Amino acid sequence: MTAARQIEHRAATWLVRREQPDWSAEDEAALQAWLNESLAHKAALWRLERGWEAADRLAALRSDRTVRLRVSLWRGPAIRALAACVALALTGTLIARSDSIVPRAVEPVGLTTQIGQHRQVRLDDGSLVTINTASALRAVVDKRQRQVWLDRGEAFFEVAHDPRHPFVILAGDRKVTVLGTRFSVRRDGETVTVSVVEGRVRLEDAQGGGKGAAAIMTAGDVAVSQGRSTLLADRSSRQIEDALSWRRGMLSFDKVTLADAAAEFNRYNRRQIRVADPKAAAIRIGGTFEATNVEAFARLLRSAFGLQVVEEEGVITVKS
Amino acid sequence: MKDDSALRRWFVEEVLPFEPDIERFLARHCRVRDDVVDLRQEVYEHALMGAQRGIPQSTRAFVFTVARNLLIDRARRDRIVSFDRVADLDLVGEMDISATDRAYTAREELRRAMIGLERLPPRCREVVRLRRVEGLNIRETAERLGVGHHTVERQLTLGLRALANFMLGGEGRIERQTPKKLRRKDAP
Repeated sequence: MTAARQIEHRAATWLVRREQPDWSAEDEAALQAWLNESLAHKAALWRLERGWEAADRLAALRSDRTVRLRVSLWRGPAIRALAACVALALTGTLIARSDSIVPRAVEPVGLTTQIGQHRQVRLDDGSLVTINTASALRAVVDKRQRQVWLDRGEAFFEVAHDPRHPFVILAGDRKVTVLGTRFSVRRDGETVTVSVVEGRVRLEDAQGGGKGAAAIMTAGDVAVSQGRSTLLADRSSRQIEDALSWRRGMLSFDKVTLADAAAEFNRYNRRQIRVADPKAAAIRIGGTFEATNVEAFARLLRSAFGLQVVEEEGVITVKS
Repeated sequence: MKDDSALRRWFVEEVLPFEPDIERFLARHCRVRDDVVDLRQEVYEHALMGAQRGIPQSTRAFVFTVARNLLIDRARRDRIVSFDRVADLDLVGEMDISATDRAYTAREELRRAMIGLERLPPRCREVVRLRRVEGLNIRETAERLGVGHHTVERQLTLGLRALANFMLGGEGRIERQTPKKLRRKDAP
């Protein structure tokens, strides 16, 4: 460990402790003394303080949040300032170590979400499941087996590594066996969509035993199955990230048609968007939106695209 | 105690936004990534030293001059470096600095923070999330996750460094090593 890193580590430790309730006047004096030892200490602390403060925006995600909407039209050279940063960081698999975080026990029962709600549940094996809007799943995870049934909706799985007990998800007549760590499964009736962010999963017929019926998917792959047929597509990890932005309570669209965007909104809200004519339905939009703020989305369609928006009880109609 | 507020404001508002450029410049002249971090810290230290005597007119020119002088010093100590490399450094004034608008809006900052959080390893991410999003302190986090105080503090320290680095335009990687021995008297 180099000297600069040692100083940085020390500075980070000070900052973490300073935020704790037991921070005392003596601690403060000790910190000031350390800062006055050298400008290198000041540089390190001020730098981390700045970056950590910037991350304080995350507090906006606490339960009720208001994120400003922004839409980018794809007619001009609209470049997302952050597109470059959306590259997925490949985190390693969770390796149980002596100091690993012990998950709280969760009863192997049904887990459901209401429309517009999403929740995170940690299973007994340490795997983390993020359940999307209007979904239902059942899980049995114990010493002997790890199995989840997705009855409807969508869930994102971060699976704890345990090669001896494969993690199996059954969605309709599809069976997904986890060989890696992070992926989502979405079920719309009999259509099952699996998107892999990281690692590998095996997708096959739930009955199993079918020769050649299994597809091994790796990071960036998306498989859509209907009945017996499975379409494997390769999507950029950027698109997968967009598709999974619901985990943050946001929907991200990149050049998708208004018809598709409306359908996506409709999964999260009782108040449905209806696109009345094909011309409006074909408009391509991009941007990041709050999933449950359908009214703001409609207002934006009116002001940014000059579409007509008629708001009624339970339905918002959009037309050219 | 001296009043550092003007110095701190200058450093945070005028120097830190150039961090990605400074790192790129240093990386061009030394191959080892570890050296870049060390050099960057050295540049900051010298820049603060100079600015204590008076805040410079042009921060950019000043900071890059500091960086260049440090590299030349290093090249003199390191006999391996050829002279054209040193001559090369004189071109620092002509350097192409990416002219991106660095003033993030609150919304972009939030988005960036969310991405930075996503990039952390799972355990670290959860601890940082509980601190930053839910506002829990170490004790509450330790209780919630059923782990020791020390584990939470260690993960939070690693996460703070990685996330702060990412917010300043870096990679946001976790620095795995921690110092082997913290001398008792320094330990807060």
